[in-house]
Amino acid sequence: MDNLSIGPTGQRRRGWRQRLKTTVTAIAALAAIATAGLSTRPAQAADATKITYWFWGESDIPGIDTWMKGMVSKYQAVHADTQINVVPQSSDTLIGGFRLASQSHSGPDIDTQWATLPTLTPYWNKAAVAISDYVPATEIAQWVNASENEAGGKIVAMPIYLIGVPLVWNKDLFKKAGLDPDKAPVTWSDFLADCAALKAHGITPIGMGNSDGSFGAWMFAIYLKQELNSLDELKSAIGNTGGFSLDQFDGLLTKMYAMMADLVAKGYINSDVSSLSLTQGWQLFPQQKAAMAFTTDGNVLSWGKTLGEDKIGVAAPPIWGGGKLADTYDVTQSSDEFITSWAKNKQAAADFLVWLHQPDNMAALYTQTGAFPADKRFPTSSITDGLAKQLFALDTAKQSIWLENYIPPEVDSDADTPAGQLILSKSGTPEQAVAIWNRVIKKWRMQQIPEFIQFKKWAGGNS
Amino acid sequence: MMLRRPRQLWPYLFILPALIALAGTFAYPLAAVIRFSFYAGSVGDLTYVGTMNYQGLFQDPDFLQSILNNLKLLLTVPVMTVLALLIALVLNSQVKGWRHYRAIVFLPYILPATAIGLSFSYLLSGNGVLNTLLRNHGIGFLARDWLGSAANVVPTIGSVIIWQQLGFGIVVFVAALLAVPTELVEAARIDGATGWQIQWSILVPNIRRTIEFFVIVEAITVLSSIFTYVYVLTKGGPANTSSVMEFYIFQNGFENGAIGAASAAVVVLLVLASIFIGIYLRLQARAVRVAR
Repeated sequence: MDNLSIGPTGQRRRGWRQRLKTTVTAIAALAAIATAGLSTRPAQAADATKITYWFWGESDIPGIDTWMKGMVSKYQAVHADTQINVVPQSSDTLIGGFRLASQSHSGPDIDTQWATLPTLTPYWNKAAVAISDYVPATEIAQWVNASENEAGGKIVAMPIYLIGVPLVWNKDLFKKAGLDPDKAPVTWSDFLADCAALKAHGITPIGMGNSDGSFGAWMFAIYLKQELNSLDELKSAIGNTGGFSLDQFDGLLTKMYAMMADLVAKGYINSDVSSLSLTQGWQLFPQQKAAMAFTTDGNVLSWGKTLGEDKIGVAAPPIWGGGKLADTYDVTQSSDEFITSWAKNKQAAADFLVWLHQPDNMAALYTQTGAFPADKRFPTSSITDGLAKQLFALDTAKQSIWLENYIPPEVDSDADTPAGQLILSKSGTPEQAVAIWNRVIKKWRMQQIPEFIQFKKWAGGNS
Repeated sequence: MMLRRPRQLWPYLFILPALIALAGTFAYPLAAVIRFSFYAGSVGDLTYVGTMNYQGLFQDPDFLQSILNNLKLLLTVPVMTVLALLIALVLNSQVKGWRHYRAIVFLPYILPATAIGLSFSYLLSGNGVLNTLLRNHGIGFLARDWLGSAANVVPTIGSVIIWQQLGFGIVVFVAALLAVPTELVEAARIDGATGWQIQWSILVPNIRRTIEFFVIVEAITVLSSIFTYVYVLTKGGPANTSSVMEFYIFQNGFENGAIGAASAAVVVLLVLASIFIGIYLRLQARAVRVAR
């Protein structure tokens, strides 16, 4: 009927139909072209080995994301049959995001986690496989600090870099306070005396941030360790395996939090420590608003460029504790890479990770980021910078432990972090801070029963 | 004698798709959450623990602190209601440029909470903009660690919530005030009512339903939709003193994988939110009865 319509309305209708027909044809043609384009691509992709890599590291090592991107391009250039999709992760969701992925057994083929318990926990939960099942022992022997991720005689994950946590001081501000700019505070009384002198000259002695709870957690990692005689004491207290009790652990914690409260009460820490994040707090040092900081190797090198290397002193954190571990340093691989249990191409994933450790790739990591590679094949002669040499010497001189790695992630986030916040924000007493630890450890034991059982086995050396 | 007609089943077929959709999107997750609340461990490795999660919840100072903070933050509702009403009444008196003012006060409401959180975390830090201004103007004694101190953090978060939600109240109240018949106001004026009397005896009672709606909606919002503020501003700190129930659920369920504890907290939150929804439905039913 419509076709019989005569007059302007009929013409308009035909015109409208014509336009519609043209539009539909054009869309169909575009769709066909797009489909054709797509259908040719999968012909290549279908044969390719696809690896999804949830990678984290930029917060530790600025520039490492770019290095990883370059490595992936380089690898794919010589392994055309492998496609690696790197998905950078954020610190906030690093543990939670992977935990969710592991519940549905989907997501990454390779994941990054912080070392030791954040890595071993997914392994115990069967979300990760031991990398030592896919990599020859001769290769693993070249990795530095690989034992941080050892369970049941297997190595679960691969380290990429090392991070040391020294004390850094501003020599100009030390001079201004009448202190010897070349003399590091070695003992706790040296440290307190330096703080007092700086404070007396109107200089903020220590510049840190703790709104995210990180500084408090760092104090635990550095200073509670100094009270311990061995890691087994910590494991035994948390895992309730006998030997060292939770009460004994509480006693050490109380002492450490009292020390922190003392630093706050004396005004040795910046007054806005509780409203700045760790990264924001660190900025006080290069801005010369604080004379000392506990920081990472990477930051020291970066501040060396800002302030001038001769203006910066670095040393191991002053010794406060009386345990046998007081003489250890604070180096960790920080984060590590492992293969997920649901990865379809586990061997291909392992091959890529091993390839990252090739000497030229590790050398590129150092050149591009300044981070020390966690590989014994890395030639120390590559380190020519004076400050970097000092840091590398500190990192490799003696045994190192980063204690935070050895507490369950839930205890770290729900006890370590808030307890430090309580003290540094002057909101509670050391006893109240310790009560948080006690409560969270007991809750973790009750809520995460399979994880707790595995922890006990690991603590007893039977995992 | 009347014969009862056999009950027709076919009309139910028409609502079946909707019922299936509702069951899939609401009933199943709800049932799953209630079920998980009786288990410990992570998904795939659950252990039945009976009511232990609920017992644990009410013995956990962090959870009790979170509920307490939610209740404290409920105090923002009367504050924002009164403020919104006052500003709406001023705007309704058609001051010059009132439409622009209305748009300006509405602006915070459409800003993403993450952007607000980030901006306020800089404004309110120990040496942030606000404290610097206070110190520079000789009133440094008022400077506080707004977000870093346990004593100040909840009132600070409450103030940020009021700042953001106020615009919504103003717009809703202005719209309701504009809908009040002008005859009522004119009649009152002829009868000699003062401006104040018109506002409080004519206009406000006429928008009572809208005020009730706003109060209930905001109460539910403060109870169950303020996670973003807490997460971006303080992450529950310092020392969990600014944690709210949503944050507690997030921390346990997503960060710690303690699905049982998180589910038990969800059930408690659901019960509390249901009380407010119940109040709202009762008020609505009463309004319908009055209208009839």
